[in-house]
Amino acid sequence: MMDKSHLEKIHDHLWEIPRSYRGDMRVPARVYASEAMLDSILRDRSLEQLVNVATLPGIRKYAIAMPDVHEGYGFPIGGVAAIDARDGVISPGGIGYDINCGVRLLRSNKTHREIESILPKLAHSVAREVPSGVGRGGSLKLNNEDLNRVLRDGARHAVEMGFGVAEDLRHIESGGCLDGADPALISSTARERGRDQLGTLGSGNHFVEIDRVDAIFDEEEAARFGLTLDSIVIQIHTGSRGLGHQVATDSLRVMTKSMAAHHITVPDRELACAPLRSAEGKDYLHAMAAAANFAFANRQLITAGIRRAWSHEVPGDAIDLIYDVAHNVAKVERYPDVGEVVVHRKGATRAFPGQPVLIPGSMGTASYLLVGAEAAMQQSFGSSCHGAGRVMSRTKARHEIGVDELRGRLRALGIVVEAGSSKGLVEEAPEAYKDIDAVIDIVASAGIAKKVARFRPLAVVKG
Amino acid sequence: MYELLPHTADIRLRVTAESFEELFADAMHGMYAAMRAHPDGGAVQRVIRVDDSADTTSLLVDFLNEVLARAHVARELFTAVRFTRLEERSLEAELTGVAPASFDEDVKAVTYHEADVRRDGDRWTTTLVFDI
Repeated sequence: MMDKSHLEKIHDHLWEIPRSYRGDMRVPARVYASEAMLDSILRDRSLEQLVNVATLPGIRKYAIAMPDVHEGYGFPIGGVAAIDARDGVISPGGIGYDINCGVRLLRSNKTHREIESILPKLAHSVAREVPSGVGRGGSLKLNNEDLNRVLRDGARHAVEMGFGVAEDLRHIESGGCLDGADPALISSTARERGRDQLGTLGSGNHFVEIDRVDAIFDEEEAARFGLTLDSIVIQIHTGSRGLGHQVATDSLRVMTKSMAAHHITVPDRELACAPLRSAEGKDYLHAMAAAANFAFANRQLITAGIRRAWSHEVPGDAIDLIYDVAHNVAKVERYPDVGEVVVHRKGATRAFPGQPVLIPGSMGTASYLLVGAEAAMQQSFGSSCHGAGRVMSRTKARHEIGVDELRGRLRALGIVVEAGSSKGLVEEAPEAYKDIDAVIDIVASAGIAKKVARFRPLAVVKG
Repeated sequence: MYELLPHTADIRLRVTAESFEELFADAMHGMYAAMRAHPDGGAVQRVIRVDDSADTTSLLVDFLNEVLARAHVARELFTAVRFTRLEERSLEAELTGVAPASFDEDVKAVTYHEADVRRDGDRWTTTLVFDI
């Protein structure tokens, strides 16, 4: 069992597990955390999982954990690995089942004061327009041609179907469409799981949240995104729904079987992988891109639903897209010191210099807008954290947190809640998560990203 | 026999059985417990085949993922399973149950993480982690 003595302090916010920790590590593992945070991180198996990542063939420099890291399966959540694109592997477990789970940030032109009195109606309208909950489908059931075009073109096809405007695409990571997507690689089961789920939130930690800007840290950057104190923003957190989950399942099955032929062994079956240049590796990359495009289109349709709700309750206002980021995806990128690598981000956000980095907190606590900084390119393969990070299991949350007490607490904070499930609500209570302010301070202090603005929740819509 | 155990973000299930067949059946029932499944509809029957899994542990994970896919696609909830063929890397199962059913927990997938089908004396065991 790992303890603090196994880690070497690089600086106040960065720790290293040296290769000598375990004989099969190909590179060291690095963790962005304060000393206090490290004590919490060591309570679950996340760093053992990070050490497993450090054994993957072709991994370069180090396996990285962000301060929101917590135990997952295969990779820890909050993990980053850059793997050589020529002779390394790609691992679906390094992206996760919810391919292109991500966050989209929208901006209203109204201020908090102007919409304060109608927040309950507004939240209710959003909940009506954006279906949520376990297995809940939407009103749009795609035919094969439209589904193929969504898989190939992502948010671009959603706009072509009338869900949004071309300007939206300029404010989405990769323009809302990953290149190389191949719809032919998506199984019939994956298609059936996703066919009626476009424009739906799902359940678990997925949400729509209406927030007000309560702090500005960088006036110039905030102005670039049209934000001032008391501005209203809306966050959307969801991904590729059942379609993406099935793509991951299908791909892992293929790779589990093909590893022996590629002479690959891994310490955890969930790290099943294939050389990027093998048929299995290429197929996964292209199927993952298709699922990622489904997720971009999903958030585009949800945006359309929010716009409908808004136009009904706040006539004359306009909802603009600030940015949309993926935090479960693999991308081929080039870095001066390691060349071309496939960067696996599982619960981690791309943070290229100047790129908006959207970090939601838990329901009831702050969220942040940051921008990537130059140091991220040298230190973390252009990556930052993705959220607060869980510390309490859902089971424990259900046992320890009363739904009436939680609703009362959120009400006292002035937060309107539209939740389809009491169970889902308590599982996402603020105390189930790390202190978002501390997590953000680590990435800012490490120079990976700089703080632009902080948001406080006004209304939460979830399944 | 199965037991749901805590996991920071997901659900961990431990399964113990007196036979190989029972391990697979109990793992399926444990998965439904994790999904908080409720039978609502009429009777349904289905045959599921899994061929060419990597090994016995993968066979269990692959079987459960097939069952899970039926829950997502057709809201089928199987209450009984009979294995007409259960080998090291392949199986054929006749399942009976109800559809449509409702599920309160969105199990996205059965992962391979920690999965390790083992025989310990006269008992078969494994742990499974479900992504939720």
